[in-house]
Amino acid sequence: MVRKVGIAGVGHTKFGRSEVPLVDMLALAALEALDDAGIRTGKGHGVDQVFVASMGAGLLNRQSSVASALVDTLNLQPAMAETVENGPASGASAVKLGYMAIASGMCDVALVVGGELMRVVTGWEATDFVATMLHPDAEYAYGLTLPAFAGMFTRLYMDKYGVTEKDLAMVAVKNHEHAMHNPVAHIQLVPSFHAIIEDEDAPVINPYVAEPLRVYDVCPVSDGAAAVVLCAMDLADRFPKKPVRIAGIGQATDTHVVAEREVPTDLLAVRLAAQRAYAMAGLKPEDIDVAELHDAFTILEIAISEEAGLFPRGKGHLAVRRGETRVGGRIPINTSGGLKAKGHPLGATGVSQIVELVRQLRGEAGGRQVEGARHGLAVNFGGFGNNVVATILSKEE
Amino acid sequence: MIVDKLEQSLRPPETNMPPYPPKYITLASGEKMVVHQASREDVPRLLEAVRPLVTVEKDFYDIVAARLYAELLAYQRYRVKDEYVLVGTIDGVIVGIVNGRMVDDKVGMSYHTVAIKRGLRIGAQLFAAKMEYHMDYLGQQEVLIVAESPIGYRRWMIEYELESRPSTWHELGGVPTHVLTKALWEKHKPMKCTGRRPVPPEMLEVAKKLILPSEYPQIPGFKR
Amino acid sequence: MELRMYAYRCTACGKLFHPARAVCRECGGREFEAVPLEGEGTLLTYTRVYALPEGYMKPWLGFGIVEFPNGVRVSGQMNTEDLAVGMKVRATVGVIKEGVGRDYYGFIFEKAAQA
Repeated sequence: MVRKVGIAGVGHTKFGRSEVPLVDMLALAALEALDDAGIRTGKGHGVDQVFVASMGAGLLNRQSSVASALVDTLNLQPAMAETVENGPASGASAVKLGYMAIASGMCDVALVVGGELMRVVTGWEATDFVATMLHPDAEYAYGLTLPAFAGMFTRLYMDKYGVTEKDLAMVAVKNHEHAMHNPVAHIQLVPSFHAIIEDEDAPVINPYVAEPLRVYDVCPVSDGAAAVVLCAMDLADRFPKKPVRIAGIGQATDTHVVAEREVPTDLLAVRLAAQRAYAMAGLKPEDIDVAELHDAFTILEIAISEEAGLFPRGKGHLAVRRGETRVGGRIPINTSGGLKAKGHPLGATGVSQIVELVRQLRGEAGGRQVEGARHGLAVNFGGFGNNVVATILSKEE
Repeated sequence: MIVDKLEQSLRPPETNMPPYPPKYITLASGEKMVVHQASREDVPRLLEAVRPLVTVEKDFYDIVAARLYAELLAYQRYRVKDEYVLVGTIDGVIVGIVNGRMVDDKVGMSYHTVAIKRGLRIGAQLFAAKMEYHMDYLGQQEVLIVAESPIGYRRWMIEYELESRPSTWHELGGVPTHVLTKALWEKHKPMKCTGRRPVPPEMLEVAKKLILPSEYPQIPGFKR
Repeated sequence: MELRMYAYRCTACGKLFHPARAVCRECGGREFEAVPLEGEGTLLTYTRVYALPEGYMKPWLGFGIVEFPNGVRVSGQMNTEDLAVGMKVRATVGVIKEGVGRDYYGFIFEKAAQA
């Protein structure tokens, strides 16, 4: 028996710098989601399973078994619980596992929380930590990092498709503008397009991080947590808000070693993950009204939008130029501010994308609301594209 | 002011230093930051701007702010030789302060860099401005620099490839000295130092108001 | 220590890999023989990274992806400031990271001498 699965509640901490330790931060997001789902804490809570997504609890916070710790502080015993680690795609992976737990008939209600406390280390220690997802000998040992691969990818993309630094700056400015309408976004400041790319001071105030990517092409280092309550759709009546349905999930892997990809500008795992999600949902890219795409680097928003079928290959940047991807455009992307402006607490990101889509499909997105949105797509990108999860949510009529 | 003989003998000799010509930089937010030289009369304002940071442990703000505070007092009351202070302002609001001094006509010494507003690379711009003052306006050959925070070490020692010279003592108490040489300055200046001159008079007028910041990102919920 | 880098050839189908794998992607074979990976290659893409991770005391470092004539592609450090897509580079092997008690060796590419 495959049961339909929905999202009954969402929660999200303010991304940026957390004033509280990891598990307390996870609890903040979890409690907001439980409240949103109308679940009363304490005995008889009805939460069957707990999944916690975290990439760095062990390395950054020297803490393991975070899910058990979260269950303890929320007193959700005897719920089943596990911590999920899949690099920056941990969040979407945890949602996927929650989906499987309910769809399989194993349980009725699952709490999925993603979170990362990253600002306990310096920026360069954080960069080093993130780079541990690369191949240890063929990549990490060289000092290669995610920005390094993103820079090399961007250079090829620019040469092949005519993407310019200005196109990338446009993505950044758009996402920062979206974030101004999202109270939980880390960065509440809109860069001036002129200042970061055209002004004579621009090369100094917006310097290269990994050529040709500049500071304003790269997401910040953030703390934060996001949570969703998943439920079986046949139990929808138990919850105060109509659950948003998880219509499709797709995941795919690609070579761990980036240099081995046959076409270096392809993100095959994104393409496959999206195709699998569309097939499961019975939808096509044209059906998508709003998308949260993993813009850890501005170039990735463009490349993922193409691989996910929202635009033809090599044309994504033209849609950015035409304003099609901003709120009010044909297919708004990263209405939450994206990783670029909302922040990218690794384990939280995949869950945060789902939270944003739920808010959009419920019509709760305030100043960034996409009118009449019925289907939303999230792409959570792990490694430099070696493990990608795509999720499609649909509004139940 | 009549300065009595005892006071006179306490004061260091003063060298005639050419002033730092003000400039402005367009930051990522589109805001214009004016960098200009503060005078002794400005010091009470600057002290007030720095004071809240004296208790912020994070990122070594406390050490840097407390030392800058003392250096500002020493400048105002003639207890350091040839000190200068540069201030960054946006719409007249103080966003950062840097200072240093001339050791002799060839050698300069960098003291401190405090960025109050964060996230716009203000500290990096102000640090570059003081190196510009030493090298391009005071005509010095070297600037002695130490870092008290990891971020400072990263920004100055590594990014400017400063020459390590632990045998030369810096006044900030034995932290290993690094040196910006003329050659290193010329190498890194194009990517580090920017801005325009002259500053339009009305913009400079506003900058000189030295308005105290109403918020400190380092101190959540700050109220003056 | 012998300063050499290797590709690994599947003994069943001849497909080359770098780094080593347990299973051949092409034919599923599990036996490989080491083949020296050296000489000249072509630079496919490159970057200069200014925000280096913990442990690197340099303002920036160049990286590139290089294709050898046998088709094997690898990432490496670039020891030249003169970088262009499509340029010929020569593979050298050197210390890519200083470790505690053990240094790490890998590809450091230099500009190939003009033919």
